[in-house]
Amino acid sequence: MNQTVVSYLAQYEFFDFLVAIFKNNQSLLSFLIYLIFALLIVGMCATIGGLGTYAERKISADIQARIGPNRVGPYGLLQFLADGVKMIIKEDIMPATADKMLFYLAPLLCLTGVFATLAVLPFAGGFIMTDLNVGIFYLVAISSLVGVGVFLGGYASNSKWSMLGGMRGASQIISYEIPVTISILAITLLAGGMGFGTIVSNQGGLPHQWFMFHNPFAFLATFVYFVGALAETNRAPFDLPEAESELVSGYHTEYTGMRFGFFALAEYIEVFVVCGVATALFLGGYNIPGLDIDILPLQAIQFTIFMTKTLLLYYVVIWIRWTFPRLRVDQLMSICWKYLTPIAIFNLVGCAIWMVAFNGKSIAELVFGSH
Amino acid sequence: MFLQFLFISSAILTLACTVAVLVTKNLMHSCVFLLGTLVGMAGLYATLGADFVAVTQIMVYMGGVVILMLFAVMLTGGKDFVSRAQNLLGLPASMGNKWTYSMGIFVGVVFILTNVKLLSSIIKTTPTKTIGNDFPSTVTQLGHLLVKDHVLAFEISSVLLLGALVGAAIIARPRKQN
Repeated sequence: MNQTVVSYLAQYEFFDFLVAIFKNNQSLLSFLIYLIFALLIVGMCATIGGLGTYAERKISADIQARIGPNRVGPYGLLQFLADGVKMIIKEDIMPATADKMLFYLAPLLCLTGVFATLAVLPFAGGFIMTDLNVGIFYLVAISSLVGVGVFLGGYASNSKWSMLGGMRGASQIISYEIPVTISILAITLLAGGMGFGTIVSNQGGLPHQWFMFHNPFAFLATFVYFVGALAETNRAPFDLPEAESELVSGYHTEYTGMRFGFFALAEYIEVFVVCGVATALFLGGYNIPGLDIDILPLQAIQFTIFMTKTLLLYYVVIWIRWTFPRLRVDQLMSICWKYLTPIAIFNLVGCAIWMVAFNGKSIAELVFGSH
Repeated sequence: MFLQFLFISSAILTLACTVAVLVTKNLMHSCVFLLGTLVGMAGLYATLGADFVAVTQIMVYMGGVVILMLFAVMLTGGKDFVSRAQNLLGLPASMGNKWTYSMGIFVGVVFILTNVKLLSSIIKTTPTKTIGNDFPSTVTQLGHLLVKDHVLAFEISSVLLLGALVGAAIIARPRKQN
């Protein structure tokens, strides 16, 4: 049976009290708990996605020696709310020759694919919607819905810019899925399981217990994953699907108002999810240094640790965007197929050999004895 | 009860999208409805306890096959196929005549009857509650089965995939100009 939020809460005494309130209707109670947690997590991540646009503009302003948004709220913090309201009251334009059904469907597919990944993201011990034992595999699979959404958005707009952007997006997302998945596979070898609970609990709070520093191959896999994830989320320097200097705005050129907002929100939340996965897989996840227990008040600390690592990676993603120039299409493909994929396969084989040769011990354990 | 609700809604999604795939006249729309069918099937697998198979279904079909189909339809001109013939009489003669159609229907009926005969024995017996196993998860169980009991089939399929990969590389490589 999979560990879920409900089964986690069931071990506390107040759960029996709740069951008594619901007159022993367990399934209704668990449905309500799932609903509340889903709303909480989606609301939180939507806010993070919104604040991501603010962070993007503010950090880019810092990098380019400008000030950035500073009018709405303190330090311009409420800028994303103003933008959101603007998007909602904008006219919803449908191009005359667009494929109506697919045009409406595409942004929703993107958003669904991203929100579905939040179900397995480990925010803290027990505070994970459902700890599927195929967790990371599920995440990789369901996020491919974003590729379909990008492609359909490009096709349905019936405009050449959108079409080119959509095709670039789909081919890029499919290609980079391969090195990313193989890097993740190397980590599942180290953890001995695909569930996020297993992966995180096999690491420790201190850097030498992280999978990133477990062995040299895992160290390389971290960077392969990160580069591949940048490309999968269409972030610069891999933002070819929406290259504004050549394709106007790529696959979402024809979208206005909230439909465009859905695409933007999906992109920013996906960056957050990808950073969260990198944290859980390579950077020790939510583990508190020196402690490994999941009792209720300590989870606030675990949550803070997870968010700190994830948001630091988020900062790096934005930093990279405003530092590197965009790649050409042929460079993009040759990086994926000629460099990242062979390196990822090398890492996978290397990790497997390491696990057999050193009986699953990390470098720190080999050098300093037991940790 | 919750699981039953999920199972029934997945089944309805699968059936509705399958009907939509057949009925819609736009080839692109058929592909998108096929996506719904495959997601619904993944839902069926997941509610029946085969979580790994469900996720593999999503990974392979949604992330790979459907995108490939969309590409193929789009690059070969999906717009031109909008008004394809729906009725039997409107089909070109090379598709068959009434004899081939009646033969096809006959074979189909025999096939369905054979399947019903085979499945009736399964339906009558009640399934055993749980299959006793000492694996922590389906992933572990599948892994053990694949590399211990069925290692030959596993290796043969990997050779097949390697062949496909080499074939794709040969087709895609630039030809020498001389």
